[in-house]
Amino acid sequence: MRTATVVMHGGFERDEETGASTPPIYQTVSYAYKTAKELADIFAGRAPGYIYTRIANPTTYALERRLAQLEGGVGCIATSSGMAAITSVVMGLLRAGDELVTASGIFGGTLSLFVNTLGRFGVKTRLVDAGETDQFARAINKNTKLIFVETIGNPRMDVPDIPAVARIANEANILFIVDNTVTTPVLIKPKEFGADIVVHSTSKFINGHGTAIGGAIIDTGNYNWSKGPFKDIKHLAERAGQLAFLAHLRNLIYRDLGGCPAPMNSFLMMQGLETLAVRMDKHCDNALRLAEYLQGHDKVRWVNYPGLADSEFYGRTEKLFGGRGGGLLTFGLGDKDKAFKFIDSVRLAKNLANLGDAKTLVLHPASTIFHEFSADQQKKMDVTDDMVRVSVGIEDFEDIRNDFKQAIEKAFEGKG
Amino acid sequence: MKLVINGEEAISKDGINVSELLIEQDVKMPEMVSVELNGSIVRREAFDATNLKEGDKVEFLYFMGGGSVAE
Repeated sequence: MRTATVVMHGGFERDEETGASTPPIYQTVSYAYKTAKELADIFAGRAPGYIYTRIANPTTYALERRLAQLEGGVGCIATSSGMAAITSVVMGLLRAGDELVTASGIFGGTLSLFVNTLGRFGVKTRLVDAGETDQFARAINKNTKLIFVETIGNPRMDVPDIPAVARIANEANILFIVDNTVTTPVLIKPKEFGADIVVHSTSKFINGHGTAIGGAIIDTGNYNWSKGPFKDIKHLAERAGQLAFLAHLRNLIYRDLGGCPAPMNSFLMMQGLETLAVRMDKHCDNALRLAEYLQGHDKVRWVNYPGLADSEFYGRTEKLFGGRGGGLLTFGLGDKDKAFKFIDSVRLAKNLANLGDAKTLVLHPASTIFHEFSADQQKKMDVTDDMVRVSVGIEDFEDIRNDFKQAIEKAFEGKG
Repeated sequence: MKLVINGEEAISKDGINVSELLIEQDVKMPEMVSVELNGSIVRREAFDATNLKEGDKVEFLYFMGGGSVAE
């Protein structure tokens, strides 16, 4: 099956008991068994079965199977949020004294987790420029255990050379994690370019309608756990093989941290997935048209969209995403005042901290998702005061363009 | 022949291999199960070629990796 079919049919066709054609919402905490031995066997791993929804749930399991199939992975664990997915992965791999390498242009929440939260537990994060592949290799030392990148940095809009970074990780025998939130498996399957683990915030394009928070961890099967530097997972690999890392999470880290999704939210993610392929086509289409419109506008100082033919990352967009630049772009009107006035003046687009919704969204990153970072840190991440981030929706393009046209005019009113 | 499966005595057809045992014992989710024979894991690709003998100790183990597409 191809991607546009898997989003609808992968991992779940019908409920075995009732024939229900959408996944039933198993709104239950726990699962009853007739005999003490049955439950004891499940706890001991001698029999398969559900124990407690914090560990596994049939609605969530349907979502996990579909996402695993979409990413071509050996398995998946769905989580309560994208941050819970990343937290589970890194807590499952790192110990005090370990280091990770990541790009400085990634999502502020992820950067805060690495630098601030993990920093408190003795993990060191080294930041590199995602565009400069050599920097990844230079940042690795004997304590480095993983490299983490986003397919497109949010909001820097830079695209790492994923296969080249994968080779660097592979040569160092460390793990390569790719956050595929903004591109989704419709634009890229990072497994094919060497990713070991793929993570998602499913709250974004996968959900697609801003109705539920969620995340996911997919083991692509590329990493050989029996040969890595992760001792406890290596030990588990003797028995669990390719499922060693997911078993390690499911039976320890994920179970202990408690970042499980609500069954209702897993259902909403399944609903969203069904239309992911057509939505991504339209998001990319509208985003390219809007980027071209803004680029041709005399009041717009700059536009950053990796799908533009003159973007410095367009070569990678072609190689990795089939030439489609996703649904996110940033642009600048010169200063913070104009950015605020623009946001205050849009009528159709919504000013909120999210992306990947079917509706067009705008945001001023410097004063919102990056507000906790100093001006100097923001400068290093290329988060400028005049930056407006746009998550381009799937409305009729003429309406989006007209909304931006009138809001840009308002931003410059009284300024000559 | 007599085997010890998950710590309990079980009767099985003489000389069958691991793949046949999974069917004979009606093991749930056979594509997900790991099989331990006398303390060592049997690799999946060796299931057909591994024959069982009287008194063998067999453990069926499940690692709930979640969302496996192997099913």
